[in-house]
Amino acid sequence: MSDTMHPAILPPPVLGAPPVPRVPRPERYTLPNGLRVISAPRAGVPQVVLRLVFPAGSAADPKEYPGTAGLVGHLIVEGTARYAAEQLHARLDLLGASVNPHVGHDFAEVELVLLSETLREGVGLLAEVVTRPSFPGHEVERVRAESLDALVARADEPSNIADDLAALEVFGPDHPYGIPSFGTEAGIREVPREALVAFHAAHYRPANAFIVAAGEFDAGELRAALEEAFAEWRGEAPPVVYPPAVPVPPRAGQLAVTPWADASQSEIRIAGPGLPRIHPEWMKAGVANFLLGGSTITGRLGANLREDKGWTYGVRSHFSAGVVHGGWVADTAVDVGVTAAAVGEMVKEMRRLMDERVPEAELRRAKDALMLSLPRMFETPAGVASRLAAIEAYGLPHDWWERFAGEVDAVTIDDVREMARRHFNPDHLVRVVVGGGIEE
Amino acid sequence: MTDTAPQSTTALRFPVRTHTLANGMRIIHHEERAAPIVAVHLMYRAGSRDERPGRTGLAHLLEHLMFEGSLHAPKGQFDDQLERVGGTNNGSTWLDRTNYYETVPSHAVELPLWLERDRMGFFLPVLTGEMLEVQRGVVINERRQSYENRPYGMADQRLHEMLFGAGHPYAWPTIGYMPDLERISLEDARGFYQTYYAPGNAVLTLAGDLSAEQAVELAERYFGDLPAGPPVPPLALPNDTAPAASVRREVMTDDVSFPRIYQAWTTPPYGTREWVVMDVLAYLLADGDSSRMQRALIREGRMAQDVDTYLYPTAVCGVFGVVATSRTGIAPETLEAAVRQVLDDVARGVDDDEVLGAVRRVRRDQVSELATVEERAEALSYAATVLGAPEELERVLEMYGEVTAEEVSRAAAKWLGEERGATLVVIPSGNPPRDEDDFEDGDDDGEEVEG
Repeated sequence: MSDTMHPAILPPPVLGAPPVPRVPRPERYTLPNGLRVISAPRAGVPQVVLRLVFPAGSAADPKEYPGTAGLVGHLIVEGTARYAAEQLHARLDLLGASVNPHVGHDFAEVELVLLSETLREGVGLLAEVVTRPSFPGHEVERVRAESLDALVARADEPSNIADDLAALEVFGPDHPYGIPSFGTEAGIREVPREALVAFHAAHYRPANAFIVAAGEFDAGELRAALEEAFAEWRGEAPPVVYPPAVPVPPRAGQLAVTPWADASQSEIRIAGPGLPRIHPEWMKAGVANFLLGGSTITGRLGANLREDKGWTYGVRSHFSAGVVHGGWVADTAVDVGVTAAAVGEMVKEMRRLMDERVPEAELRRAKDALMLSLPRMFETPAGVASRLAAIEAYGLPHDWWERFAGEVDAVTIDDVREMARRHFNPDHLVRVVVGGGIEE
Repeated sequence: MTDTAPQSTTALRFPVRTHTLANGMRIIHHEERAAPIVAVHLMYRAGSRDERPGRTGLAHLLEHLMFEGSLHAPKGQFDDQLERVGGTNNGSTWLDRTNYYETVPSHAVELPLWLERDRMGFFLPVLTGEMLEVQRGVVINERRQSYENRPYGMADQRLHEMLFGAGHPYAWPTIGYMPDLERISLEDARGFYQTYYAPGNAVLTLAGDLSAEQAVELAERYFGDLPAGPPVPPLALPNDTAPAASVRREVMTDDVSFPRIYQAWTTPPYGTREWVVMDVLAYLLADGDSSRMQRALIREGRMAQDVDTYLYPTAVCGVFGVVATSRTGIAPETLEAAVRQVLDDVARGVDDDEVLGAVRRVRRDQVSELATVEERAEALSYAATVLGAPEELERVLEMYGEVTAEEVSRAAAKWLGEERGATLVVIPSGNPPRDEDDFEDGDDDGEEVEG
């Protein structure tokens, strides 16, 4: 630039002490029917987020019909004892509410997002869909057909194929985590309506369920609305039985390649069983993972594959939360031509974390990044609801988020190496490629 | 449960204080103390619309380069320093603007300001060919991952070419054409930076846990001495900024299992009353299971797996779109005819309650989207960049409450006519399906169209 005045060189700022995170202290109570309530009101945004959670994920699917839990989760909003589907949707849409069912491996949940002024009506509709869905035959058949088409459409995308294959290789076909939570083509096609009704009747019960409320509302008004709307609901769901612990995958250390015609990129997954969310080493493992691939720019995988080599738009790794495991995966998509080299570099970075002590400064930086992310976590009603739901779902101590920073800070260099050896050992992990440029 | 619907909700409020530095840089402050964090948002009035043919993708590639270091914060420092104080950061490029933003715990607010200052004032000395090559590779992979290697990934690019034709600055994709990405030189990147990355062409918003006095003082300290730079050249606009489609209908094949139709129309630009009316129309048509298209195409018509509508909040003109995917055995022409039928019906009239519900659903999404200081900072910066002042955001939000049923149907008739729109039909590379009367089928939640 031709300006004659040059700006001064300013020294980097010296920062003061970090702010104290405001972790919400919710009110907890239990309704007479056993439904646990976690209520965290806070003025600010005129919105209420309610999350009603059941241990009714795909792990509870009847063996012969994988996909039952997923269909039930989507069908509860398709008609109830009081309202036909179109009446129900017209009411919800006029309120401006959104009802989002989500069915995972462990849990089924219904998220209801409301403007604060519609709390009472919204809670009434939530109770209606959760306690009295009618599963009308024509809606069941429509949702079934739509779900089958969705499976076909999903298979058009190589990243989906890679995700599914990685889970299957790690957990096998007999573990609920080995197949997608939405089930299988055969299960969705064949499950009779009666099995859906029976699944709902057995698993959507208050005694094992909980509801989290966050946002702008009056705590007393919420309690009154819940007590009224859920008064008639009773019962307890049978416990979900999981298979025994997952061993080292049978094809660990080997490559499983699915060729994809004309692919411009290869999808790569290196995956293992991870650890249960309740495991005392969860935070240690999380810090080790953050060093390896927690950030696509600064993690070791990203610094190498993206920032140094320009092979990919992104590469990350993460542990998934689960009741009994959850899984761990490092994933990326790279130029087909560098597929083999990219797998090699990923394996190299994993071994390096197992074999070499992480420098103190690098560990300090990772711990600071995680500890200081806390102030951001409770900014929105959705964020608050999500963090409080995690505590309740996995049975974590109620003060988990208050202990979070201390737990992170306690992680040592030796812990990182131990966690890397336990969870990132490439000889114990599966390597899945969908694309080209590499052979098994 | 009561049977009376609630009253219409009041618009959201985002009070701001503004200040302009001597070099022309505009400063916006918005206080929000819900969490001890601050969002820093720097928006340049420069986007893919400011590129020239043969160098598409330049604005976005430069955005990538801006994360590769500056004179006093060399490569790796930017993300590293922000992460270690618990911050997040990102950047994005779109048709009308490029933005860079950070969210940090409030004790660290000066760090992103120092880093942004450095790359606004001291970037060119570190820009090298080696940096360009690495980021060229990353962007080419971004293009492959998000467009070429994704089902239906090339549709939007073609749709926009059809809608705008040559000569309109929205005709090419922000990511850029592959041959252009390979051609962009260091000189191109330098030139774009020197032309557009100046204080007078930027808006800085500080939102969250800090006072207006602090915001102004920090802005003066970190940006007040940067040279204003040359005046930014005006954008060359075509005579008709919201033209009818230059190509009305086309069919392309892709490696997909189901046909999908993409339709788009130009509309009045973001911030106008008619744009707000079109936004309500988008919700009325396809947001919620009781909306017109969800009913006609999915629930009752049983011919689509998913249907979505969208409206771009863009400056030269808006873009209204409809995307719908066929169920098994449904020909795309059937879907096209059904969409046309709904649009014609809506042009003949809509109910007051439909409009009321649509406005509430817009508000529900606005409340969610603007719940974070990061999003508020972006919305305020965008209003200042595109509409001239951050206060325009509240004016736009207020207009939703005034929209009438009559306006909605009139807007549908005026802007969404068959003769104005572009239709792109994507069919599977195999044989295109024909209608099968007795076959039941379809999918789930529909694919979001990125704004």
